[in-house]
Amino acid sequence: MKKLLSVLALSMGVAFTASAGVVVIGNPAAADMSLADAKKAFLGKGNSSLVVYELDEGNATRTEFHSAVTGKSDSQLKAFWSKQVFTGKGNPPATVSSAAAMKSAVASNPSAIGYIDEADLDASVKVILKP
Amino acid sequence: MKFNLKALPLAISIALVPTAVFANETTDEKIEKLEQQVATLQAQQTKNLTEKFSFNGFISGAYISSNNSAGYNNATTSSDFSQDSKIGFQGTFNISNQTQAVLQLMMKGENNWDVEAEWAYLSHRFDNGIKIRGGKLRLPLFMYSDYLDVGHAQPFARPPAEVYDQVSFTSYTGGDISYDVEFEDSTLTFQGFGGESIIDNKTSDIELSNIAGLNANWTDLTWTVRGVYGYGNLGGFLLDNTGSPFLTIDDEKSTFLGFGGGYDNGAFLAIAEWTQVEVNGLLPDMESAYLTLGYRINTFTPYVTVAYSKSTDDNERAALPPQLGIPLSLGLNEKRNAYSVGLRWDALDNVALKFDVTYANDFGDTSGGLSGNSFNPSTGEFMLDDTLVYTVKFDAVF
Repeated sequence: MKKLLSVLALSMGVAFTASAGVVVIGNPAAADMSLADAKKAFLGKGNSSLVVYELDEGNATRTEFHSAVTGKSDSQLKAFWSKQVFTGKGNPPATVSSAAAMKSAVASNPSAIGYIDEADLDASVKVILKP
Repeated sequence: MKFNLKALPLAISIALVPTAVFANETTDEKIEKLEQQVATLQAQQTKNLTEKFSFNGFISGAYISSNNSAGYNNATTSSDFSQDSKIGFQGTFNISNQTQAVLQLMMKGENNWDVEAEWAYLSHRFDNGIKIRGGKLRLPLFMYSDYLDVGHAQPFARPPAEVYDQVSFTSYTGGDISYDVEFEDSTLTFQGFGGESIIDNKTSDIELSNIAGLNANWTDLTWTVRGVYGYGNLGGFLLDNTGSPFLTIDDEKSTFLGFGGGYDNGAFLAIAEWTQVEVNGLLPDMESAYLTLGYRINTFTPYVTVAYSKSTDDNERAALPPQLGIPLSLGLNEKRNAYSVGLRWDALDNVALKFDVTYANDFGDTSGGLSGNSFNPSTGEFMLDDTLVYTVKFDAVF
C-alpha cells in the first residue's frame, strides 16, 4: 500500500511537472538551444545576433524562468544588470507584458527568443528548450 | 428581371452564410493576431527610440560611526552621513548598433557633492568581436573596479578597504581594447588598457603616467577567476596636514599584480582577492587580500569578511639614516587585519539595505594605515591599537 501510494505520488509529481512549466521559444524555423546557451543569451553574453525578450519585472513566469535557467532571483538579476549597465557592458533585454505579446514578438523575428508558460503554447512559435 | 436582380444579392448572401460563419471565427483570430502584430510593431518602434538612448542612475546613503577616531574609512565617533553617500546618473547613447557613447556623472558626499565624470567614453565593437573604448574609464585593477560606486551591485556594505584603498587611482584617461573568447558554457575576456591618471586631493598631488596593463577574466556565471597586471610611473608630492608637500615622488616605476576569484550559485557566495603593489623608492610596497563568504536566505544575505594589508618593504626604510628612516617608517609602514560581519537585505528588487560592523586590529608597530591614529613620542607607541566601525547603508539603482 505504502509502495503504491509513493508510486502514485511520484507519477502525479511527474505529471505535474510535465504539464506546466516554462519553455524557451523561438521562431518556428529556429534550431534547438542548450541550457548553457540560453543562460548566456538571457544574461547578455554569447551569440550577439539573437534578439532576446523578457517578460516584465514582477511576472511570475519570469521569476520561474530565471530560477530554472540563469539561477538568479529577481533582486540578483537586478544587481547583475546594474553591473552590466553601469559598466557599459550591456543593457537588459527588451520586455513584453504578456505571453501573447511574447509569442507575437518571437514569431515576427527569425532571430528572436523568449519564454512562456507551456500552457500558453501555440503553433506560431517553437519550443527550443525545456529547461 | 427586377425580381431577379433583387434576389441575387440575397441568394449570394444566403449562399455565403455557412462560409461567413466559418470565416468569422478565423477573422476574429486574424484580427487578434493582427492587433497583436500592430502592438508589437508599435512596441518595436518605441523600442527603437528608447534603444537609442538609455538613462540610469544609482544612489547610496550611508551612516557611519566608530568607537574611536582612528579614521577607518574616515569614520569617527560622531556620526557621518557624507562618507559613502553618493548619487550617479548615466546616459548611454547608441550611435549605431556597434558604437555607443557613455557618460556617468557622480556626486559624492565625501567630495562635497561636486559633480565628477567617472565614465565618459566612446566605444565601438568590431564585427570580429573586438571592442575598443576611449575616453575616461575605470582603472580595471580590482574585481569591483568597474562598479566601485554602484553599491547595489556589491554584496558588502563597501569593498574591503584593506585591498581597495591600496590604489587611490580609480579612473584614468586613455583607452582599452577587449576581446571575448566564448566557450560552450563560459567566457574568457582579455582586456588591455593604457593611459594616464591624476590625483589631486588633500593628501596627495600625484600623477600616474604611462599606465599599461592587461587583465584576463574567465567566468561561467557561477565561478569567476581573474588576473591582472599593470604598471605605471608615479610622480608628484604627498602633502602634509597643512597641504604643503612633505615627500616628493620622482617618477617612480610602480607595478600592480592582482588575482581574484568568486563563486556564486545563487545561494552561497564567496569572493576573494589578493593584490600586490610595488613602488620603487621610498613609498611602501603593499600586499593585501580578503575573503568574503555569504549565504542568501530569501531576501537576506548575511556575510563575513576577513582581510589584511601590510607593507612588505619596511626593511628598506629601516636601513635609511634614522632622521629620515624613523619618520618615514612611522608614516608609511602599515599592518592591519580586519573582520567584518554584515547583512544585506534586498528590501525591494532595486533597493538593498546593508548593516556592517568591522573590527580592525593587529597594527603591530604601525598606525594600521589609519590617518587618525597618531604617534605618541613619550610612549613610543601609536595611540590606538584597534577600531570598531558601524555602517548602515542603502543602495538603490533606478
